[in-house]
Amino acid sequence: MSRSQIQTRNRISQATDAGDWPWIAAWIGALSLHLAIVVATLFTWSHRLDIVDESAPVVPVDLVTIAPKTNIIATARPAPKVQPDVTPVQAPTPPVAQPITPPQEDTEPPPVDTAPSEPLIKAPPPPPVPKLKPQPQPDKPKSTADSINALLNNVLATPSAPQNAKAANRTTKGFGAQTAMTADIQDALRSMIRPCWSPQVGAPNAADLVVDFDISLNPDGSVAQAPQLTGQSASMVASNAYTRAAADAARRAIMECAPYKLPANQYGTWRAFTFHFDPRQMMDQ
Amino acid sequence: MRRIGIAFAAVLAMILGFAAPASAQLRVDVTQGNVQPMPIAIPNFAAPQPSDAAAGQNIAGVVRADLQRSGLFKSLDPKSFVDHITNINAPPTYANWRVINAQGLVTGQVQMQSDGRLRVDFRLWDVYGESQMLGLQYFTTPENWRRISHMISDAIYERITGEKGYFDTRIVFISESGPALARKKRLAVMDEDGANPIFLTRGDYMVLTPRFNPSAQIIAYMSYISGKPRVYLFDLESGRQQMLGDFPEMTFSPRFSPDGNKVAMTLEKNGNSDIYVMDLRTHGVVRLTTDPAIDTAPSFSPDASKIAFESDRGGSQQIYVMNADGSDQHRISFDAGRNGTPVWSPRGDLIAFSNQSGDSFHIGVMRTDGSGARIISNGWEDEGPTWAPNGRVLMFSRTLRGGHGSQIWSIDVTGRNEQRVQTPGDASDPAWSPLIQ
Repeated sequence: MSRSQIQTRNRISQATDAGDWPWIAAWIGALSLHLAIVVATLFTWSHRLDIVDESAPVVPVDLVTIAPKTNIIATARPAPKVQPDVTPVQAPTPPVAQPITPPQEDTEPPPVDTAPSEPLIKAPPPPPVPKLKPQPQPDKPKSTADSINALLNNVLATPSAPQNAKAANRTTKGFGAQTAMTADIQDALRSMIRPCWSPQVGAPNAADLVVDFDISLNPDGSVAQAPQLTGQSASMVASNAYTRAAADAARRAIMECAPYKLPANQYGTWRAFTFHFDPRQMMDQ
Repeated sequence: MRRIGIAFAAVLAMILGFAAPASAQLRVDVTQGNVQPMPIAIPNFAAPQPSDAAAGQNIAGVVRADLQRSGLFKSLDPKSFVDHITNINAPPTYANWRVINAQGLVTGQVQMQSDGRLRVDFRLWDVYGESQMLGLQYFTTPENWRRISHMISDAIYERITGEKGYFDTRIVFISESGPALARKKRLAVMDEDGANPIFLTRGDYMVLTPRFNPSAQIIAYMSYISGKPRVYLFDLESGRQQMLGDFPEMTFSPRFSPDGNKVAMTLEKNGNSDIYVMDLRTHGVVRLTTDPAIDTAPSFSPDASKIAFESDRGGSQQIYVMNADGSDQHRISFDAGRNGTPVWSPRGDLIAFSNQSGDSFHIGVMRTDGSGARIISNGWEDEGPTWAPNGRVLMFSRTLRGGHGSQIWSIDVTGRNEQRVQTPGDASDPAWSPLIQ
């Protein structure tokens, strides 16, 4: 125990040993007043809570409560396309992208491999360069990609909704259009894009990886037009290589996961929306 | 009056009721993804002349291996390709690459020029975005095909991840051979992928702690050539080496400043180890620490304003940071165990270190103020971290339990993708070069 803690304890002990009745009366009075305040608070607070429940949508609480039970239909990644669903191959056209950048300079590395000449201290000539042979790696995992996938999928895995789930009847309100239907659409889109989105989570500044895309979908769930960067990310792409890479990764995810299987009778809700990609929760930042 | 009030309320309700939904576009917050290596297809580079076909195959093979080794890409097996690239100047048939789930496609071509140089072109395509992401062209002498391959890997890595690559780099390390009691330690250097290993010393003297200078042409290291441990400089281009300073005492643990003009090192005098900085241009020496404890393992911050070092002045080996002039020395590591050999990330955001807890040693990283320390390696005895020039990957020495040799391993700063680096025999004490100029 520190020196200051011992001094504080001594002062408290001296105060109680005095035993003056006015002190006791003051304590009783103070306790009574505190009790009265607590009772009054409970009574008035509960009344106010009732009023809030009736008038304002408790949006965040509803979403959190409903989410685990929201029986979203599509949580799995769409099955890989076996047949290319594109139009017949056109005759080769000139490259649409920019021409290959001219070489900056001839690549002629310094002759590092040459043997040392006239060392100050008698360094022996390098022996013949041994050829590298693959060596047994007892500790090496089966496959780098496999191990990463297994590790990450374990970390990031969340229970998916059952296939035979049905949407529940609810009257709660959510964000966007403030309806339960909107929350369902959001959940569905979130769960559909998730398997396709692989951001580069090693960037030094996670905020650089936040990008927004405006999406337009056809009634069949296919992407109607190229996703458009919006907001601050649109201006950052030109100057920040991390944001540019993050935008590319998000665009790949949007295109790869299409078409999006959503309720046709709610097309008006999801025909146009914004994907907000924010990987900061996936990083230690 | 009451009717007017009711009418006003009705109009207000209509405005609030209808205007809000019309202006609110659905927004979907995506905060969780599925981090996995990006599938990328890299067919053998086309060769209009059959005699160049081998070069096209070799270059594509090195690029595949580089990207696969990074852990951020999955190089797809060429046997799975359903398309054959013959003309890299035409857009590919994207659907044929989506069939095999490739997200990226690299097409390239090699062509021997009339002047004897090799011309290598490549393009990186976004298979789902159906656009070219990058297109570059190189000329080189044919024997430099491996370097061109690494430069292509770096360009692809940078375009996809947003940060510089690290494939066109070299590793200097200590090659070990022989029995435990008569271990021969030689200074050696090799490419980042383990190719082209070269021994720089014969092994008559013990050598330790090699470090590259920023130009990747000079190596500072400690050797027992004169019987005492001293810091030496080795010029890779000329093969010359020289002792750094003429100190009567022991000098060890050298490390260059970011501009290469200074070397920070430890000098032991009368049993007391302190950190000194020598200016290589003037040979002036400045003492930075004066504590009677052991101060060693200095490492500059990328902006050269600070130096991290280890010291046991607090009773156990811990990491400290001071200004480059020696002022404001303060401890930053307070986690369990002993912490030493701090190495400042080239990116400036982290400090890598060796941690000893119990009888095991691990590699860890922490922020530069000491917060957020975490262990990232999984070996029994992992020590001596060194950063890739992009600050994304680390290499370190791993001693196998039971004295079964030492190896060099690499790991992503996130703790993923731990894998062994190929070396000719046992190896330790790696130091990563900057990108080769």
